[in-house]
Amino acid sequence: MDFAWSDQQRELLDAVGRFASQQLNYNVIDNDRDGVFNHDAWKKCGSFGIQGLPVPTEHGGLGMDPLTTVAALERLGYACKDNGLLFSINAHLWTAVTPLVYNGSEAQKKKYLPGLCDGTLIGGNAMSEPNSGSDAFSLTTTAIKKGTTYILNGSKIFVTNGPVADLLVVFATVDKARGPDGISAFLVEKNSPGMNVARKLEKMGLRTSPMAEVFFENCEVPEQNLLGREGGGAFLFTRSMTWERGCILASAVGSMQRLLETCIRYANERKQGGQSIGKYQLVASKIVDMKMRVESSRHMLYHYGWLSGHRKAVYLEAAMTKLHIADCWVKCCEDAIQIHGGYGYMTEYEIERELRDAIAGKLYSGTSEIQRNIVASMLGL
Amino acid sequence: MQRRRSMKILVPFKSVPDPNDATSAGAAVSPPKSVINPFDEIAIEEALRIREHGEAMEIVAVTIGAPAVDEQIRAALAMGVDRAIRIDDSRALDPYAVARILGAVVEKEGPHVVIMGKQAVDDDSNQVGQMLAGLLGWPQATFVSKIEFLDNKTRARCTRETDAGLEIVEVDLPAIITTDLRLNEPRYVSLPGLLRARRKPIEVLTCDQLGVTVRPLTTVLSVARPPRRAAGTRVESVEELITKLKQEAKVL
Repeated sequence: MDFAWSDQQRELLDAVGRFASQQLNYNVIDNDRDGVFNHDAWKKCGSFGIQGLPVPTEHGGLGMDPLTTVAALERLGYACKDNGLLFSINAHLWTAVTPLVYNGSEAQKKKYLPGLCDGTLIGGNAMSEPNSGSDAFSLTTTAIKKGTTYILNGSKIFVTNGPVADLLVVFATVDKARGPDGISAFLVEKNSPGMNVARKLEKMGLRTSPMAEVFFENCEVPEQNLLGREGGGAFLFTRSMTWERGCILASAVGSMQRLLETCIRYANERKQGGQSIGKYQLVASKIVDMKMRVESSRHMLYHYGWLSGHRKAVYLEAAMTKLHIADCWVKCCEDAIQIHGGYGYMTEYEIERELRDAIAGKLYSGTSEIQRNIVASMLGL
Repeated sequence: MQRRRSMKILVPFKSVPDPNDATSAGAAVSPPKSVINPFDEIAIEEALRIREHGEAMEIVAVTIGAPAVDEQIRAALAMGVDRAIRIDDSRALDPYAVARILGAVVEKEGPHVVIMGKQAVDDDSNQVGQMLAGLLGWPQATFVSKIEFLDNKTRARCTRETDAGLEIVEVDLPAIITTDLRLNEPRYVSLPGLLRARRKPIEVLTCDQLGVTVRPLTTVLSVARPPRRAAGTRVESVEELITKLKQEAKVL
């Protein structure tokens, strides 16, 4: 395994860092307070190339391998403080773009991928339902074929990007009796008749990433918008979740690195009792813990990226990577606040927001408990 | 008058430490990265806009330095410059030496206009553009915040930012134009642009090949940080402030 960047990779990563630090960090505090999605920053990311990172060049992307992609997202998380924007980009990449790349027909890819890459289209998926979360395949939204269309009925919750999405990958069952084998995926465009994007959901963190409930009431979806084969939804979902688990917290590693550097700076500058607080072992020890978490997280992330790029099985590694980084991110944020004392609790220091954003990492893409279940099952338990 | 359909623009630039890179803290971080001098970046952006406006057909960037500056060259190519020349010379050159080397590049390339930053943000010399114009015997418009081409691109009308206000000058082409901050806001390098840049040519030349021998006329003796500013003090009242301004600062 080789994690030494080539000159070309280094150049790409530096370009990401430079772009993100200069173009994406405005109004973050206000947008977080007001729950505003930064559409302009989304478009900038698109024209810069973020949304196209893992997409083959023939469909308007950059065709980067998984390792380079996660490293670029890590750098993005280091330089961009808008975790909500990054969460929206991740949801878009792993729940809409990747399924299209792997399971889309040529016509579907041609129609949607260039726009999804260049920032003109926003994607997301609709899987979770009010009574179907961790037990995802128990979903009850139905898709009944009628002539050349499918009629969708049901309700979806926690739809990331829902209020702004142009295209949703919606999971529904064509036959509940078939269980997981009945689950199918559909590409549903915004303003489809019968699709209703209802109230925007207020949340603790990631407030700049819009989330909604979506209802389907006799929503007609043309059969050419079936993604993959009928009944292939569960496999498609599992594959896209594996991608998502492995990659979604890449930006968190960058965020942790940024917090670490912020804390080192503060610990050296802040003087109490006649010396820098970093000279106190209790503070230094926290910073060492932060460093250990960043390094271990980064290694797991790169290891996942390398394996994925070499077409090795990553089901276990993706779950472990997600579980570990999610945990480390929350702990790093807590330590960063503690090191900054009262200032860390103040909004303007931009650390408390990181904690609110980080906590969601233990919930989305499968809770930490679900990740543990996966690891346990892979260990033969 | 010869009809000039489309121009060739030469953009010289310098590689400087990133002014936005705040690495002064104690964290174990890498040394400051090099970037294209921001004023030169404005020059590149202007050249790109002139080309996008259909008034130029080729933009050539040129810089002087060791192979390490290829990274900034690729950034220029990624922004959209067509090709680049690197004069392979790692010496610390003074403005006159730089102007003479650039003069030789101008002779070789024959551009219709040279657009460059008014100064580099590392040494703030603000001399190369003017010296280059002098050596070539070309007209110059410096500190420019707006450029328009006139009369079949045989002349340029430039708005200059001076202390007294905006001055509008017209120069016959070929000419040297140096850019000020408000001319434009440079685009950012995109990843697709960066990938395209790898396929664009970088020509490497030496001073010998250009037929110039340069010797620095000035020598930098030392570089030191400005003294740290002492911390301020808090005053309790306006009266105390006035007293201090009179007695300690002696400004009233």
